[in-house]
Amino acid sequence: MTDTHHSDDSTDAEPDTDRDSDADTDLSTDGGRVYHEPPETAPTADRSPVERVRAAVPSGPRALRYAVAIGVALLWLVPLIGLFMASVRPLDQVIQGWWSFEGMTITFENYARAWEFQSGPMRQAMWNTAIVTIPSVLAVTLLGTMVAYPFARFDFPLKTALFFLLIVVMAAPPELVAMGNYNTLRTTGLFDTYMGLILVHIGWGMGWVVMFLRNFLLGLPEELEEAARIDGASRYQIFKSIVLPYSAPALVSVAVIQFTWVWNSFFFPLVFMRSRENQLAPQVLPLMKGRLQIDWGLVAAGSVLTMIVPIVLFVTLQRYYKQGMVAAVAD
Amino acid sequence: MSVESYLEDRLDRDVDGEKLTAILVFMLPGLTLFAIFSVGPMVYSAVGSFFTWNGFDIGQFAGFETWVATFQDDAIINWSNLRALEYPMGALPQNLIWMLVHVPLSTLLGLGLALLFADLRGRSVLRSMVFLAFTTPTVVIGLVLLFVYDPQAGIFNELLRALGLEGQVRNWVQEPQIAIYALIAGGVWVQTGFSMLLYSSALAGIDPALLESARVDGAGRFRRFKDIIWPLVKPVTAVVVIMSMIWVIRIFAIVYAAGGPSGGPGGVFSVLGLEVYQAAFSTPIEYSKAMVVALIELVIALPMAWYIASMD
Repeated sequence: MTDTHHSDDSTDAEPDTDRDSDADTDLSTDGGRVYHEPPETAPTADRSPVERVRAAVPSGPRALRYAVAIGVALLWLVPLIGLFMASVRPLDQVIQGWWSFEGMTITFENYARAWEFQSGPMRQAMWNTAIVTIPSVLAVTLLGTMVAYPFARFDFPLKTALFFLLIVVMAAPPELVAMGNYNTLRTTGLFDTYMGLILVHIGWGMGWVVMFLRNFLLGLPEELEEAARIDGASRYQIFKSIVLPYSAPALVSVAVIQFTWVWNSFFFPLVFMRSRENQLAPQVLPLMKGRLQIDWGLVAAGSVLTMIVPIVLFVTLQRYYKQGMVAAVAD
Repeated sequence: MSVESYLEDRLDRDVDGEKLTAILVFMLPGLTLFAIFSVGPMVYSAVGSFFTWNGFDIGQFAGFETWVATFQDDAIINWSNLRALEYPMGALPQNLIWMLVHVPLSTLLGLGLALLFADLRGRSVLRSMVFLAFTTPTVVIGLVLLFVYDPQAGIFNELLRALGLEGQVRNWVQEPQIAIYALIAGGVWVQTGFSMLLYSSALAGIDPALLESARVDGAGRFRRFKDIIWPLVKPVTAVVVIMSMIWVIRIFAIVYAAGGPSGGPGGVFSVLGLEVYQAAFSTPIEYSKAMVVALIELVIALPMAWYIASMD
């Protein structure tokens, strides 16, 4: 479980995919990987492209496995595909069923309506979400590293108590801190402001971020820091020029995961952001349901707009996201 | 005391002093925010649950009054319905039922998919397809479930129609006795991606040569799973199960989006989180009840988090 960085993702798995394709080409009948010794002499003639394609296409039980696997993966996407289809089709076609393609027309009107939605335009809500998410992610990543570094390296009084508190906060539901924070923000005048919600997110994220980075730093060799120390570098210089750069991959993981969580979070904005112009995107979505007939196109367009940001982030940085996810819980 | 030893002593203490200052400089900003916005409010709730409240202001010490009242509150535990096994049973039993059904299903499905994708080409894409729902906002998940179960526009009912089960077509999230399971199915849909991801990384650590030699030795599929794969993925299972349980005990946005703050018709799929929200932020404001319910959530989750932390 410790070598999570060997998890195989598309981006870092080049040798891995090579081995896989070998297994598939040489052993066309059934799965599993077989390691073949490299031949002593070079092959005399290359196989024809047709032959190669035929050999690469798995057959028998392995082909069945591919079919099942692709089927399951597609099945998992069906609800989200439906959401997307609903967002680009007029309401009467959605009610007929988004899966029927007869007389299908595509419209962006739903998006336009969601963008200007009366009780919380997405134009404003998306902007608000970004204003809250970006600073709170950057702050919690930096402050979290600063806490995690001494926590992983030095002994100090109350260290065990801090460890205990971090775990309690990681286990606690966000509802547990809502009442206290509500009163704190009310008395300080930060209620219903960007700053108030940002501070709540920083304080709340600190629990897992510190634990995660502490575990990461414990796995980082100390020799470099010691050498720099002997050379007369101060603790702050060591932090800036050794600890930070060496933890860069872990910091990206933290930032990506924290970004998705803060962007997606629903409970804190619901409690701490009340006025129409301060609402965040996830908060607006349930309002789009309306009272009687649900306007699926509007709901779907708003949902797609909200989820597109974390999904793009996930797709582009999925290596960090997955590694972080695995390391965060596996340590 | 000689001069040298005194000096040495001073020097040591200075070094320690310098170190202590550095530790403070590093930790103070982060820990201050942590204390104000996480630890403080938790203590506030723990203490406040033993007091009476006038709106948002603390009142008299009341001992266990609210605690006792909460366990007799129909919204939290509906004892008579619980005995009859009829929904609404109250948020606490419903939340536990959610756990009982959701956690084993999502764990097993996750393991199954991890094994299915393990050595296929393009497994990374397949995994991302399954994992995608986990990265979307949970409030969107709740709305998607409403859409899937809609009698007209929902694909689930269309599937029933296609299977010739027209009589079964209905709005599944409005059916008091079934709605909770309809939502749990959605929870499983989301969380399977998460457990699959964890299992996949554990499976990647298994040496394929080991499996191959077991196969050559004549070990069947089941034997290979039981003797080679399972011992290696067993520790991950503990993590997956506990993380899923914590995820479920906190479930909020999915249920809110699907049934509003009351948790469906008559609260048939209300969960603890919703009850906290209702008690604290809708009239009449019952801060102490909100605190008690939130503490119940913590009491359920804490031993599990502790177990994970002590696993190193």
